[in-house]
Amino acid sequence: MSWGAMGAFFLALLILFAVGNLWFHAVEFLLERIKRRLARREEPPAWHPLPTQEEEQQDRPL
Amino acid sequence: MGLFSKLFKGPEIDMEKSDANAKKMRLLFNQVVENGDDYRLIFGYTEDVARFNYGFVHGSKTKIGNLIVGWSESSQTIVVVPTVPDLSGCGDPTYYRRSEILKAYRNKYPTDAFIIYPDHKGYIGINACDWLDDESLYVYVSQEEALAAFTDFFIHRFATK
Repeated sequence: MSWGAMGAFFLALLILFAVGNLWFHAVEFLLERIKRRLARREEPPAWHPLPTQEEEQQDRPL
Repeated sequence: MGLFSKLFKGPEIDMEKSDANAKKMRLLFNQVVENGDDYRLIFGYTEDVARFNYGFVHGSKTKIGNLIVGWSESSQTIVVVPTVPDLSGCGDPTYYRRSEILKAYRNKYPTDAFIIYPDHKGYIGINACDWLDDESLYVYVSQEEALAAFTDFFIHRFATK
């Protein structure tokens, strides 16, 4: 196999990889948008942020 | 010689960072769990593997969920609190009381996870390691002794078979 043929083969692989990646991210993006639309009515799960040092000191009994 | 011995020694644990994260885990846990100090803590995680097939692109995706896992020997209860790798916050706790669960066992294959079935509808598989280096995915904490204690508790006093 000549160097040119090998180069063309690897270039084709690279293009296939790039197109596959683009396709994957495009489908993921669309699915995520659909999921968000459907989940809009649901309440988001509760989230408790890490208490700061000031909050922690206030909570402690004197 | 010095360089090679360092290379072969492998990654070393930053105990200062690990201790700071252990304190944060305790703060978060005690914030959402009543009498949190009655529980010992380890860091655990869940792995959700999903296969996808988008036409000519197919493969699998793994979602990792970080957990603060507390256990109480006296009440035979495991409490699981979802969190994030940087421990900036946590979700609501889920209680698994031995008297109320359907079954619990230590898995062997494909991973040695701690499996709890609260009912027939679903289950939770808790994975845990002594220490995980990847801070972007897991909480950075060294917990060799605590994990050994949790494993002993789970196998001998919590598992149902």
